[in-house]
Amino acid sequence: MDIRTVHREGGTVLSVNGRIDTTAAPELDHAILQEIDQGNRKILLDFSGVPYISSGGLRVILATAKKLKNPGDKFGLCSLSPEVFKIMKLAGFTSIFSIYPDEGEALARW
Amino acid sequence: MPAGDGPLVSLTWQPVPGAPGALIYPLIRKIDVISSNSYVITTPEVILIVDPGGVPEQGEQLSRLIEACREEFDRPVFAFLTHSHVDHFIGIQSNAAFSVQKAVVFAVHHAGALALECGDRTVTQADILQQPLSPMKVGLRLFAPEREDHAGLPASLCFPNGAEITIVQDPAKADSPRLPHEQIRFGNGPALDLYHTPGHSPDSICLRIGNLLFVGDLLFAANPGVAGLTGWSQESLVRSLSGAERLVAERGVTQVCPGHGNVISAGDAARMFSRVRADAQSLSHIAELNRDRAVATAEYATDCMEQVNELFTIMAGRLAYVTYILDELGEAGMAEETAALISSDAIDELLEAFRDFAGEYQKISPSPVPLMLKAAQVMGKLERTFQRNELAGIIDPTLVRRAARLLADYITMLRGFTLPGERQVLDLVPVIEAIVTGLSLPLLSDEEILSGPDDEGAFSRILLSRIGSRPLLDEVECEVVTKDSPLLAWIDRDHFTDLLTYILEDLVGTGAGRIGIRIRKGEEGATITITGILAVTGARKPLTWRFLRGLAERAGGSLVVRQQDGLQSFEFTARAA
Repeated sequence: MDIRTVHREGGTVLSVNGRIDTTAAPELDHAILQEIDQGNRKILLDFSGVPYISSGGLRVILATAKKLKNPGDKFGLCSLSPEVFKIMKLAGFTSIFSIYPDEGEALARW
Repeated sequence: MPAGDGPLVSLTWQPVPGAPGALIYPLIRKIDVISSNSYVITTPEVILIVDPGGVPEQGEQLSRLIEACREEFDRPVFAFLTHSHVDHFIGIQSNAAFSVQKAVVFAVHHAGALALECGDRTVTQADILQQPLSPMKVGLRLFAPEREDHAGLPASLCFPNGAEITIVQDPAKADSPRLPHEQIRFGNGPALDLYHTPGHSPDSICLRIGNLLFVGDLLFAANPGVAGLTGWSQESLVRSLSGAERLVAERGVTQVCPGHGNVISAGDAARMFSRVRADAQSLSHIAELNRDRAVATAEYATDCMEQVNELFTIMAGRLAYVTYILDELGEAGMAEETAALISSDAIDELLEAFRDFAGEYQKISPSPVPLMLKAAQVMGKLERTFQRNELAGIIDPTLVRRAARLLADYITMLRGFTLPGERQVLDLVPVIEAIVTGLSLPLLSDEEILSGPDDEGAFSRILLSRIGSRPLLDEVECEVVTKDSPLLAWIDRDHFTDLLTYILEDLVGTGAGRIGIRIRKGEEGATITITGILAVTGARKPLTWRFLRGLAERAGGSLVVRQQDGLQSFEFTARAA
């Protein structure tokens, strides 16, 4: 898995490429924490390159949602594959944070 | 060198207990289906190999050992096979030290000898394990029918490698613990006793020298994925296990050397023989495990694991969601207890282990057997990672039920039993309406919550269930339409319920806000068409469709899946009654 981070006007976009398995989940967690530590509290995860997410990956996303709930914070996901969207939807995550069709729409709404 | 009275040590020469002058060098491998353990035994008169194994490296290791022994002083070499399955001998087929005529005499039960000499790919399991096999010359046929007429009379045999042996069939019949028995003497050295123990295969034998008993695959013969192999016999196996148990008890056996895994004490072996016999007795009417069934089982394993992966990730995610909400509510203690109901990390590791294994193994072996057995191992462990009853009280019970059924169905299929199911004539309309209603209502209604007991424990359970179980069709408009009511059809209710749930879950999971279920009577039978417009589109996993088609067959019908311009449809057709 690799993560490319881009700072846009509306927020920080982390584009993830690869499976988020037990090895990759802590790497994602670390990358997100690094951004939050630097004061970037509008985080969008672009999952267009993610074909699979493990329960460890789901926990990282929940932990991030927990950290970014202050007024003015933003957290969301975009460009999910059908498989990953299905997991998020059926696990009940879609009621905690927003899922957008693509990066443009997410940042436009923020 | 170890003293000889302790447990045998792998890759070390040590005395054979109870056989003065004999030494043994065990090669104990990590358990797999590719190769067996090997044992080399030397006496001043002969070098014996029990099962040369299934990989060339092991064959080379053995040939170096034999060369060293013969350099010390030359003696004839015999290779005994506990049975003629390829994982016990194929590793030496391309080894010059073994293939040179006259160098090593192969000794095999006569039924196995026939299979080896004609290169029978079915009996030897070369077919199912996808191994190349050349016909092999067997120099010494054990339990040969021609010796039956001379039972009790020793016969002298000479071999091209210079060996002279004395062999006697049933030397003391009254003394034999009910197993057909032959005894071989190589000069003045200790006797080698052979016992015919069919069941795992028709040609299976056990060998005893001193206080050691070599049992081949007798201890695994009732295992899922082993029981039912072509040549397997339940009746013979039960009889052989009883005989082997008596052998251990009555012949001073102290250690039992299996074809796979560690050497075990006589006490442990006796308990295992008894347990395996009980397992074997429960295996009446299992299907033959041949190549076709192995391929079908491995395919089902792959499909099941795909669904298991999804269901377990959803269950773990749902529980993570519950703990998240509980944390938000300041219920940290309850959150911790809830999180412990499923071992998410263990699940992730098991699912990844299977995925890695499947990916790696497919590159190096076309055999379906390892994948089939790995899936069983992973599913067995998965079953221990979640507390089913407690979870079903918190998260959607259909998730838990389907996960449990997948694991159980796979093991049932692997063992060779027919999957449980009962087709009956049912009116499809109320059946479908009941499923849809069940997926639309919360686990506990508002009335049940308000009238529930007023203690802390009950409140916790209600709270957890309220957070964790969200009806699948909660935010979805689902319409059931029919003009043909009643519509009777032959279906299996449980499998049909699972099928419809999987389909609805798939549509909801890909963002369909409206789902239509149309039930009609057509020329081909009763047809149910389930359609939804997907919010998230993209290439889907074909394994899911293959799994659903298999489930539809078990439900009593057939399934056609179509996807076009964001419209997903599933058409199930069953025989109308």
